[in-house]
Amino acid sequence: MNTVPLVLYAVALVAYLWHFARRQPTVGRTATTLLVAAVLGHTFVVGMQTMEAGHVPVTDASSAISTFVWLLALSYLYIEMTTDERAMGAFILPLLVLLQLIPALDPGVEDRAEVLQGPLFGLHVSSLLFAYASFALACVIGITYVLLFKEIKAKHLGFFYARLPSLQVLDTMNQRAIVFGWIFLTVGMVVGTIWASQARAYAAADPRVQAMSLQDPKIFVAIVCWAVYSFEAFAARRLGWGGRRAAYLSALGFAIVLLNFVPISYFLTTSHDF
Amino acid sequence: MHLLLVGISHRTAPVDVRERLDFQARGVEGALRALAVRPSVHEAVVLSTCNRAEVYAACQTPDVARQDIVSFMSEFHGLDRTEVLPHVFESTDLDAARHLFRVASGLDSLVVGEPQILGQVKEAHAAGNAAQTVGPVLNRLFHLSFGAGKRVRTETALGSGAVSVSFAAVALAKKIFGDLKGRTVLVVGAGEMGKLTAQHMRSQGAHRVTIVSRTLARAARIAEAIGGASAAPWEALDASLSASDIVITATGASAPILTKARIERTMRSRLNRPLFIIDIAMPRDVEAAAGDIEQVFLYNIDDLRATVAENLARRASEISRAESIVAEEVDKFGGWLRSRGVIPTVVALRQRFESIRRSELQRLDFKMAALPPEARSRVDEITRLLVEKLLLTPTEQLKALADAESAGQYTEAVTRLFNLQPGSAAAQLDDEAPAAAAAQAGGAEPLSSGNVEAFAPKARGSR
Repeated sequence: MNTVPLVLYAVALVAYLWHFARRQPTVGRTATTLLVAAVLGHTFVVGMQTMEAGHVPVTDASSAISTFVWLLALSYLYIEMTTDERAMGAFILPLLVLLQLIPALDPGVEDRAEVLQGPLFGLHVSSLLFAYASFALACVIGITYVLLFKEIKAKHLGFFYARLPSLQVLDTMNQRAIVFGWIFLTVGMVVGTIWASQARAYAAADPRVQAMSLQDPKIFVAIVCWAVYSFEAFAARRLGWGGRRAAYLSALGFAIVLLNFVPISYFLTTSHDF
Repeated sequence: MHLLLVGISHRTAPVDVRERLDFQARGVEGALRALAVRPSVHEAVVLSTCNRAEVYAACQTPDVARQDIVSFMSEFHGLDRTEVLPHVFESTDLDAARHLFRVASGLDSLVVGEPQILGQVKEAHAAGNAAQTVGPVLNRLFHLSFGAGKRVRTETALGSGAVSVSFAAVALAKKIFGDLKGRTVLVVGAGEMGKLTAQHMRSQGAHRVTIVSRTLARAARIAEAIGGASAAPWEALDASLSASDIVITATGASAPILTKARIERTMRSRLNRPLFIIDIAMPRDVEAAAGDIEQVFLYNIDDLRATVAENLARRASEISRAESIVAEEVDKFGGWLRSRGVIPTVVALRQRFESIRRSELQRLDFKMAALPPEARSRVDEITRLLVEKLLLTPTEQLKALADAESAGQYTEAVTRLFNLQPGSAAAQLDDEAPAAAAAQAGGAEPLSSGNVEAFAPKARGSR
């Protein structure tokens, strides 16, 4: 079912790239329309899965990725519509298409064990997905910042100079996305800790609950992530680490997030093995 | 009806002549009214900017109108004809249309692609509307020129990129800081270039401008000239540096004033917030190595000139695309103009058919006298529809004729075949006031020029 949004995202990607290269207003409007169609289609898919499972589909890695892609597309559309700035789409859409490939190729099995019920678990997963979507945006904004920065620094005012918003705007957007993501990351991790300690009481036999410790790669990497983003959100600019360094940090942070989200979820973790 | 353009521009006349022929100063609408009294000119628009003074006119005989417009231009400005004549250029019909479309797209501007001209063309048309000197021909022409200008702007990069050094500096500052509002500009040195660039930044919304010079009095004088700027003593240079976002250096010093070490120091105190340094001094005021510092963007005058040259080259590379857009729009206008050219013949043809119908009805009047009134009006209706349907296809075919030559042959043929006199109809058509046309055609004539356009669709509807 996840192939329909995948195809729509891919078509929208082509339109965004075309618009980025040629800057024709009609192509830009078409690109946005296609993305809206993709998001609507995806909303339908996520909605169907929710109806089917009785909860938001986040309990296995594939459907969590699908939900994440959906949230990211929504957040991007929000940014595009509030800033009227389509240049970022050419960078976000490839990410959407790549990630959506995973649920499209491997639908995954909904695991709704007893232990995974309750409002705390839902809050835990959805906060973290929100956080990841924000970090993804921050990363893409950071990449575009570096591209533009290099052009201005090298005194070669070319492709990106003509297409991207100013460094200041990119920096502010990046900072906002980081702070926003950090809040959700913190909430998600705190809620997760509370949920795990409660789960020990009523589901002590579950091997996953037993594995909830700092030694588990998923939890460990999440804490590294939190440290990186805390530094970026609150300390970096006070130490003169604004601009390009902050942009590199957001790319690094998101690389860790992706690492945690895809390979570790699939292969390494024992505590979050759904 | 012909389109005629008579005027001067930066290509044909030096600035002192252009100044003396400036319509803007003396009121374009007054000029239009003065021009409208000349009978050879049916419609007129005056386009007057600092680079051109052009009269666009619709006329019957371009040779007469041309003389009239030249004498109008010289008389209106109180000049002798011989002073104006050597600088005047002219063109007719599609060449005149092409010229206007090129002007509106910025192709004919001194700086190719400059954006103001389209607005000025719109103002010229609006002034013509206000003075009621715009008729169907110029209306169509100018609306197409707006379309051409807009298409060139959106579909090509003809107007992209700054093409002067101070604009390039402002454009760069905006690309770094977004908005210049709330930004502080520091000018080091009290030269003219520094002052100009600072003024430009200020007009673009820069929040505060500080001038630092070796002599405080000179700095104060420049600050006053810029307006809203403040002066600071030479000793305060470091402090001003760490408080500024944009620095313009333009001193006459022989050795660099801002060394890499000095800028590194200030960058620490300003927490590495971005610093944009524009070094327009010769020899340079800023050590070139300072550009390597993270978050310092250093541009000297040559860098800015290079970006200007790049932008100009990019604009030049777009010219052929812009020209082909202009050519397409000229074709549209040409098609419209030609379809208008056959209208006198169409009108004459319709009048001929209508008069035959009427005379036949009159001849049969006594035979129909016995019929009830409804039946008589039905007969009238049927004959009218018959004529309309017979004429529908020839009308459409004539209007669709693509090139001027075949249009001429066909109108000639139709005129001969039906023994028409389209001359009088043409006079009606080209008159701007339909009321006058109707009066000339006679109130009894239902097929005057006023409703010829409406005729075909109505007939189509009744089919």
